[in-house]
Amino acid sequence: MSAPSVRPLLPDVEYRRMSFILRTGLAIALLLMVVGVLVYLFFHPHLDLAQALAHNPILRYLGFTGLVAGLAAGNPAAVLTVGLLALVATPILRVVTGFYYFRHGGERTLELVTLTVLLLLLFGLFVLGPVLR
Amino acid sequence: MQLELALPLLMLLAIVAGLVGALTGLGGGVIVIPALVLLFGVPISDAIGVGAVTILASSSAAGAAYVREHLTDLRIGMFLEIATVPGALIGASTTVILTHASLEPVLLIALGVVLLLIVPGTISRRHVELPEGVQPDARSRRLGLRGRYHDNVLDRDVDYAADRTSPALGVMFGAGLVSGMFGIGAGVFKVLALEKYLRLPMKVATATSNFMIGVTAAAGAGILFAAGFIDPLVAAPVALGTALGAFGGSRLLPHLRNQTVRWVFIPFIVLLAVESILRGLGIA
Repeated sequence: MSAPSVRPLLPDVEYRRMSFILRTGLAIALLLMVVGVLVYLFFHPHLDLAQALAHNPILRYLGFTGLVAGLAAGNPAAVLTVGLLALVATPILRVVTGFYYFRHGGERTLELVTLTVLLLLLFGLFVLGPVLR
Repeated sequence: MQLELALPLLMLLAIVAGLVGALTGLGGGVIVIPALVLLFGVPISDAIGVGAVTILASSSAAGAAYVREHLTDLRIGMFLEIATVPGALIGASTTVILTHASLEPVLLIALGVVLLLIVPGTISRRHVELPEGVQPDARSRRLGLRGRYHDNVLDRDVDYAADRTSPALGVMFGAGLVSGMFGIGAGVFKVLALEKYLRLPMKVATATSNFMIGVTAAAGAGILFAAGFIDPLVAAPVALGTALGAFGGSRLLPHLRNQTVRWVFIPFIVLLAVESILRGLGIA
């Protein structure tokens, strides 16, 4: 299993980088979401579950300017939005690192594959999702 | 139900779902989504959004450990995402479109049918620890879809290579579609493609499937999030609870008989699936 034409396995540093991205991204996302929920509950202690579902608090913060304004005002729903974004962005970040690895290694096909996956993920988040809203 | 009571109950449900999901190998979403609809009256579209967040959290948690142990084949995983991601985008878009068209009952029926398909597949899964006589196809050789891991049980390094990549890509597209549409990991389909077609060793297939679930879920969750289908007030406690339950389940698993656990919980999941179909048909 060591024919010279075979590409090498990914180096150890790549595994450690991926693991670090997954752990850190998850920790940041969960922390922001837990803090956001607790602060939101503090200000809306008697909110009903059905009401909460009917009026998703993050809808006002899905645009860039609204999100920045919400964060500047310290709105917990804006913090929740960033937490959710961090959760979605964590696997996307590791696709970015995969793309750079294959690019530097000169592996054109896998570079193209990871770039396509990355563009599709961004297309879903920034184009398809808002269009379907 | 007021949030101060609902949120701890949701978290409790999620802990149980994460525990059972880990013990049965079905994943937490399979239990959480129908339970949110049937027990808490959460609309199916919101439950699917919560499911997507749940699998993102649990996949990142388990994925980090598998990657660190070098059980995940990053190269094969990233190659197959070219099929799962378009599938998930189409699946999540379908969910949004069906919801806007007030066709949630169709989603409920389809969810019930998918659950009924997943359960026997998981029970009857026959793992081949180390497949023999694998002849990698031309694409696999060109892309270097092969690797090596250290097997702690056998106490030796194991080399492997991927076989039939074309049918595996087809199954992965289907797995992505199901994952995006229902907010579940659809790991059973991914493991099927990795074990049956690519003919990877069981441990590598399981770890690589988990790694891929994260990116597939990100594709579906991205659309659901941007379309406003994810309510973080429900998603946050459920994601946290499922991650805790899955962690507990993975600790408990070595001390329990796997088959016994499955036979205890699988009738319960079948009941949720049937109830979901009946609710969709307007009978229940």
